[in-house]
Amino acid sequence: MPRITLSSVIASLALTTAATAETKIELWHAMGGALGETVNQIAENFNASQDEVQLTPVFKGSYEETLTAGIAAFRAGEQPHIMQVFDAGAATVIGAKGATVPVQDLLADNGVDFKIEDYISGVRYFFADSDGKMIGMPFNSSSPIMYYNVDALEAAGVTPPATWEEFQETTAPALANAGYIPLAQSHLPWIFTENFMSRHNLPFATNDNGYDGLETEILVNNDSIKAHFTALTEWQESGFFEWYGTGWGDNQTPFEEGKVAIWLGSSGSFGGLSKKDLGFDFSATYLPYWEAVTTEPKQTFIGGAALFAMSGKSDAENAATAKFFEYLTAPETQVFWHKETGYVPITEAAYELAAAEGYYQEQPAAEIGIKQLSLDAGENTRGYRMGFYVQIRDVMNREYGRILTGETSVEDAFSTIEEEANQLLARFAKTQG
Amino acid sequence: MKRAGFTTISLPVLLLLPQLVIIAVFFYWPTVVAIHSSFYLQDPFGFGSTFVGLENYADLLSSREYRKIAWFTVVFSGLVTFFSLAIALVLAVKADKVLRGAKTYRTLLMWVYAVAPPVAGFIAVIMFNQSWGPLTEFFGLFGHRFMVGVNFNDTAFSMVLASVWKQVPVNFIFFLSGLQSIPRSVREAALIDNRSASGRFWDVTFPLLAPTGFFLLIINITYSLFDTFGIVDTVVKGEPGNNPMTLVYKVYVDGFRGNDLGGSSAQSVILMVLVLALTIFQFRLIERRIHYT
Amino acid sequence: MRKPKLSTLIDHAVLIAGSLFMMLPLLMVLQMTTIPDTEIIRTGPSLTIGDQFDDNFTKAMFEASGFSGENTGLSMLKNSMILGMGFAVGKIVIGMMAAYAIVYFRLRFATLAFWLIFTTLLLPLEVRILPSYEVVQWLGMLNTYQGLIIPLIASATATFFFRQFFRSVPEELVEAARIDGAGPVKFFIDILVPLSQTMIAAMFIIMFVYGWNQYLWPTMITTDEDMYTLVRGIKQIVQVLEGAVVPEFGRSNVLALVAVIPPVLVVVFFQSWFVKGLTESDK
Repeated sequence: MPRITLSSVIASLALTTAATAETKIELWHAMGGALGETVNQIAENFNASQDEVQLTPVFKGSYEETLTAGIAAFRAGEQPHIMQVFDAGAATVIGAKGATVPVQDLLADNGVDFKIEDYISGVRYFFADSDGKMIGMPFNSSSPIMYYNVDALEAAGVTPPATWEEFQETTAPALANAGYIPLAQSHLPWIFTENFMSRHNLPFATNDNGYDGLETEILVNNDSIKAHFTALTEWQESGFFEWYGTGWGDNQTPFEEGKVAIWLGSSGSFGGLSKKDLGFDFSATYLPYWEAVTTEPKQTFIGGAALFAMSGKSDAENAATAKFFEYLTAPETQVFWHKETGYVPITEAAYELAAAEGYYQEQPAAEIGIKQLSLDAGENTRGYRMGFYVQIRDVMNREYGRILTGETSVEDAFSTIEEEANQLLARFAKTQG
Repeated sequence: MKRAGFTTISLPVLLLLPQLVIIAVFFYWPTVVAIHSSFYLQDPFGFGSTFVGLENYADLLSSREYRKIAWFTVVFSGLVTFFSLAIALVLAVKADKVLRGAKTYRTLLMWVYAVAPPVAGFIAVIMFNQSWGPLTEFFGLFGHRFMVGVNFNDTAFSMVLASVWKQVPVNFIFFLSGLQSIPRSVREAALIDNRSASGRFWDVTFPLLAPTGFFLLIINITYSLFDTFGIVDTVVKGEPGNNPMTLVYKVYVDGFRGNDLGGSSAQSVILMVLVLALTIFQFRLIERRIHYT
Repeated sequence: MRKPKLSTLIDHAVLIAGSLFMMLPLLMVLQMTTIPDTEIIRTGPSLTIGDQFDDNFTKAMFEASGFSGENTGLSMLKNSMILGMGFAVGKIVIGMMAAYAIVYFRLRFATLAFWLIFTTLLLPLEVRILPSYEVVQWLGMLNTYQGLIIPLIASATATFFFRQFFRSVPEELVEAARIDGAGPVKFFIDILVPLSQTMIAAMFIIMFVYGWNQYLWPTMITTDEDMYTLVRGIKQIVQVLEGAVVPEFGRSNVLALVAVIPPVLVVVFFQSWFVKGLTESDK
């Protein structure tokens, strides 16, 4: 009978398509320049490694633009399968419960083993929910670390400072005498606020840094951090510290040019720095801490971004995404990514593999990020979860800039940040209603 | 309508339809949506939302920062308008006077009209590069360490400079054509009456150019409010920080960077009111102008 | 020969200074396309002319930076052309049709239509950008040429321009046409359109430049690399300059030049039409 024939043809067609055609998935990311090339390389390697899934990475601009593009696409029902969301956007994407498939569920549903203990401790919970379930797969995980110009420190006869007290008393004066600008940094909110809190184990927000609810208030207006910024302004006056603006690169360039001796940047900057012909030796070590605040410095948490599996996709597509995540977390992939970019490997196994290959004997500085993320944890080192955090960061950047250009005082700046951030948090709570 | 028009009904309806459909869908609908969402706080993914009445407006108007940005926008628009009009006027008067090379000058002075604002911003970024920008070095000669992205005034200066550079040509074209339309007889009479060149300019030429100037004033204010977005965005490299910004850039920062749909929509509505006020002002002026001519 | 007067010399000096003010930035961009990037990051723009232009040009026009391999300078140039042309043509066609209907027909709702269209002049796209974006998104027109072009047409500048012009066309023409038995369509195509040729050309130039130079709107609604226009690409260029190991100043400057040259050529070559169009629209 024709009817049966027809339907059986369709059925068999469908079967053959399912069996032979590759499932195509898309990844939207914010990795420009050399980092983007490495992402492309991973995608090519993944596509070559199997013939069921075809992954296309698409560069969507800055972190903020990528998030906005992803949200818009989601509302239009045209979301990519995987979206890279950065630390400051975590509350937005995790707050929208139906927007993503928690990576932990995705992997479990598709028969991929998942144990959160396999991940190195500093990366486990930043992109997790309040129960510790991992929602986003940490991807380009980095932590702020201290890079230094080895030649400069030798010329000045000092060693890299472990504490800010040491920097202030010994390191900075010697470096300044040797003709260097002792210190610069590339991201004030990330390095001198978020990770300052973690390193000194200070609470950053109420509700367990915001993980436990929406009625959160920021705790940024405290004496320790104000003392730190007061010190910064003093260092700036005595020529120990220079600020080149909010842009990341503007602060990194003087270090690369050999003018600045110590630069606080991302562990993910390692790859780029080591590829450049700098004309001096550089190395890295832990972020200094204030002995006056704590004698037991803690780990920092990851910055950078995670990959989120967007909801509303077919089972086959979700399986494909899971397959890519499996590939991505494989030790070999992680070690490749780690070596190319300087971002930390996210699993213990990958870390061990890199160590076994002798990578850290060659490049001790490459290990600093991981080691710093694996220092002792405290109750305030998991991360933070605050809504409209992109704007909160903008407020911090604005006020910090004003402190450093002398337009406002440390005291006024922090009360402004507290006031505006709390207003933003209250507004965000209402968007979730 | 022409008195001697056609009386068909279906044809004009068909002719008007594309225009009406497009403005209904892409003008009236978005405008209504903007007003509507300005009363809500919404989850960007579209899952939750709360009706908050006028709260978005109250938050904005009570925000010190928003008022600062509004004030900067006013100062910025004033500076850009003044300098691009003044420079263009001087150049137009001179270009109208010279006999030799008039056409070459005209071309050289107007081509920048076609340059896109972000390209102007991009060029400013290069010129003011902190390490080797030619203009940074130029200011260095006078002992000023020019730092775009750090110093508020320096950054504002580079934005104003790029915006003026981009806007001089339009004003130049209008002033020049205004000057050239002044009748020969008027000029000759002025030449006899008034011996000094500057006297002739202020007594005869300037008043005759005033209508063009009024019209350009509005054009320039609109330009500095809206079209300079590309310049601001490229100069701050997408990082607002403590850099100056205009109201339109703030709409973008809150709406597209920060995903605060309600707050950003409320800002849009405030801008709409502002533009409406400007337009009414413009009509008053044009009415007056019609009376004069 | 008479000695030139001092005032003439001053006039020329002012004009030369003005021309340099307008020209120097472009010359700097041009210079930077000819020297190696490694030299630029050390010294910045200088007075030497290098030999890297061909290399940089090839890189900028034919090599892509993304994975898709689609955002080459050539593809951005194509998109800019489509945006500029599509916008200009769309705006002129729709504007002429609407203006014709308003000026030449006795319509009961003509006044209403007139005011509906007129209001669009009051609010620029920038103030309703977010909801416009949402509308385009609902219509599934993100990353399409329609989505790029049509919302930009939703302002009635061209309609007004042609309305002004049609009103200045002598009444006798339409009467004569009616006596000859010409219908409205014939009158429009055979008489009014040819009569408007100069106006159309002038409008076309202004609208082409306007469309080509759009930035905010393309930045929002095109997120696919193969849809980028040159001007939208500037944003990417600045970001890539920030993140790259050796910032590719040469390549970026070539792209900036390519973004500038076509509209500049149009303006320079069709100067008289363009000036006429611009100054006539002031009514």
